[in-house]
Amino acid sequence: MPLCPMRLAFLSCEWYKFARQIKVNMTTQRSVPVYLNLLRIRFPVGAVTSIAHRLSGVLLFLSLPVLIYLLDLSLQSPEDFEKALSYINNCWFEAGLVLIIWSFMHHLLSGIRFLLIDIDKGVTLAIARRSAWLVNLCAPVLALACLWWIL
Amino acid sequence: MSRPTHGLRDWLLQRLTAVYLGIFLVYLLAHFMLQPQHTYQQWHDWVTQPARVIAMALFILAVLVHGWVGMRDVVLDYVHAISLRLTILSLIGLSLIGCGLWSLRVLIQAST
Repeated sequence: MPLCPMRLAFLSCEWYKFARQIKVNMTTQRSVPVYLNLLRIRFPVGAVTSIAHRLSGVLLFLSLPVLIYLLDLSLQSPEDFEKALSYINNCWFEAGLVLIIWSFMHHLLSGIRFLLIDIDKGVTLAIARRSAWLVNLCAPVLALACLWWIL
Repeated sequence: MSRPTHGLRDWLLQRLTAVYLGIFLVYLLAHFMLQPQHTYQQWHDWVTQPARVIAMALFILAVLVHGWVGMRDVVLDYVHAISLRLTILSLIGLSLIGCGLWSLRVLIQAST
């Protein structure tokens, strides 16, 4: 059927009604809750472990250039090696280092937990919750132990 | 979106690299626990021992693969606007390649 002006007008009228209906639906008949109070949503401990695994992964990715720079510096010459050591012993840098090592420990421990779960070890809810607590608590403790020992 | 995806392959790569990264890093940590203090010469010799250079080169490769799959998954989950997503993904890819080349140069420079 060729598109004569009359038909075009009819079509646009239909289109208008259709668009209007969508608009009405969107404004008045919306029944989904849109407001979520984040403070009232309780995260299960496994979810905390999981999201922290992602967060720590992103942090580790971001810290890559810093770590490579330190490695580069430490291998150049004895003077640069001393310079790298003095960077590490700087208190501001150390604060960042705590974060990096904590991220590393958490990523390592929760990674091991995920791998174990992948091969069907510790899948039941009770054990999975306990191992999640273990990972969340051991990571900062190990990170501090690591700093205390090495630096 | 007609590009074939390789979900299972990436899943497996992520886990294989994870195992290697984990073993190497625990080894590294154990070394630093047993010998916290280094002089420059000790450190240089330790890093440039041939077997360790190869292990480190593999480690760098594993970091690149593991970092790429992980960061890509995070971006795909949280960034939905296509242009922004592509921009971030290419920045991540480029910086990973840059990090890889840089650390490879560090290793080669130190051992020659």
